[in-house]
Amino acid sequence: MSMHRSGMPTRPSRRAVVATGLAGLALSAPAIRSASAQEKVLYVNTWGGAWEEAARESLFAPFTRESGIEIRTVAPVSFAKLAAQVRTGVFEFDVTTLGVAELGRADQAKLLAEPDKAILDPAKLWPQAVKMNGVASHAFGNIIAYRNDKFPQGLKDWADFWNVGKNPGSRSLQRYAARVIAMALLADGVAPEKLFPYDLDRAFKSLEKIKPHVRVWWTQGPQSQQLLRDGEIDAIGMWDTQASRLVEQKAPITVNVNQGVIDIAYWAVAKGSPRAANAWRFISFAIRPEPLAQFSLKNAYGPMNPDAFKFISEAQAKTLSTYPENFQSAIVLDAEKLLPQLDEMTKRFDQWLTS
Amino acid sequence: MADQLTLSAGTGQEAAARRIARVGAGPLLLLPAVLFLAVFFIVPLLIVVWMSFTEPASGVGNYVRFFSSAHDLGILLNTFRTSAIVTIAALVIAYPVAYVAARYGGAIGAVLLLVVTLSFWTSFLVRTYAWMVILGVKGPVAAALGWLGFSPPPQILFTTFASTFAMTHLLVPFMTLTLYSVMKRIDSSLMRAASGLGARPWRAFVSVYLPLSLPGVVNGAVLVFITCLGFYVTPALLGSPRDRMIAGAIGEEIEHLLDFGHGSAMAMVLLAATLALFFIYTRFFGLDRLWR
Repeated sequence: MSMHRSGMPTRPSRRAVVATGLAGLALSAPAIRSASAQEKVLYVNTWGGAWEEAARESLFAPFTRESGIEIRTVAPVSFAKLAAQVRTGVFEFDVTTLGVAELGRADQAKLLAEPDKAILDPAKLWPQAVKMNGVASHAFGNIIAYRNDKFPQGLKDWADFWNVGKNPGSRSLQRYAARVIAMALLADGVAPEKLFPYDLDRAFKSLEKIKPHVRVWWTQGPQSQQLLRDGEIDAIGMWDTQASRLVEQKAPITVNVNQGVIDIAYWAVAKGSPRAANAWRFISFAIRPEPLAQFSLKNAYGPMNPDAFKFISEAQAKTLSTYPENFQSAIVLDAEKLLPQLDEMTKRFDQWLTS
Repeated sequence: MADQLTLSAGTGQEAAARRIARVGAGPLLLLPAVLFLAVFFIVPLLIVVWMSFTEPASGVGNYVRFFSSAHDLGILLNTFRTSAIVTIAALVIAYPVAYVAARYGGAIGAVLLLVVTLSFWTSFLVRTYAWMVILGVKGPVAAALGWLGFSPPPQILFTTFASTFAMTHLLVPFMTLTLYSVMKRIDSSLMRAASGLGARPWRAFVSVYLPLSLPGVVNGAVLVFITCLGFYVTPALLGSPRDRMIAGAIGEEIEHLLDFGHGSAMAMVLLAATLALFFIYTRFFGLDRLWR
């Protein structure tokens, strides 16, 4: 599991074993834990790359300056590791970020610590700031981007994206059930306010139409960039932050945020973490208006704390997905609404994909 | 008498020491390896076995689910089919290379072996990414096909062909070196004797050389097949979702579905299948053939 992306074709039995082998170290965990409780250190699970750079500049470094708590990072974000940690009691990281679907699943599997009210009191934050033991940080859109030369008439919405008869060309979507199913339903004409609970049968019928044209189901953010930049595919459903980097690089593409499916990143603390107090101090810092505004601007994220907009110019604010005017009409994934269907949709999607 | 006694006692001690050296020191020398394997392989493996029978509920539920799911069985079948194709392709490519290197030796052989070993020094992941560039729409293959008049050039990347092709490329060195080590020991005078007795080159090859090289073929095939069974990254990066092999499916179970029990059961099925193959292999062929 931990060697998941290492690329060595060791047998999976062995790979799984290496990770669970860490369980052997669990024997010595109490000693490690009591020692580290005194530490002024916090381990944060990050997405690495540009994300980590932005986080280091706007969140980690200022937090260390203020609190004296050093932040060490572990990349990439691994949901399985979060589960394995709680299971073995060996903590490689204390804090991680989770999307809506992972948050729901993690909270259901009891992997997340409850907020320490002495440090971070949900009642004192904006409405809906804390959900299922996650603290809302920022929003990112799953939007349409396409190559200008292939679609001179443009792709207005998901229905256009799905219409391969009118708009021929290869496609790519993320290998991620909760987001792709929303797109499939919107393409099929479901009204945004009627999206939840998902009509799975209708969604898969709609997905069936585009399946032969999806050359790649991408799994990594940078991969989605590369696919579109190199013209490996003609149109893609990707993260707005990744797409905006392509625009900065002057790639010959158009980004269309219409009908963007908004997902929210939540900060969460691994249950049983020996450094939970440090973790909650960090999170309460990371959602403060000013550092959050800086962090969001670097990634073109929409800050979830409404006060963050006080530190963002009006012109910039209008381009962000959580700007009140944009957010009201946005299609936002909701952990609580998705949770009952999560297991079924993920498994069904996975099987459908390989069939 | 006394002298004799001391002498015999002395030889007795020496004999004992020799016995210890013969019997006792052997296992002692194995101790580091055994300890290492026990802590980092056997114990974790047992944990995986345990998880496969206990999560989410105790019993054989995970295995029943695996063997009653057309989807899971399909992935297992695909894993074996892909490994078989890759093994055959690697054999077809590697055999002539090893043959030339072993029979003609000299500068040609040295260069051939160098090229083969060179690719060992580059990681699987790097070579997989290299294939993404080479087979991509802006890569040389597409350009060459475009120049030959294919417009638009057929898509190669993200197909079964791409992933099988790249896996074969990754495993050819294993096959070549295994074949070479056996072929190198085939006495070249046997081929001369065959032709001296009137056999045409082809006949001499089929009747003499090929049977003598078979241990290398079997060893290489097993090595490549078993390595291929566990491939994960290459089919995920170069193939289509349909090319998923069981390692990828196990990753998916654990990384996305958090189904440690089912993932562990799949890992056990793969391990059992691999062990079964390995058993057949040692029973009928044996690793020591390589050094005979």
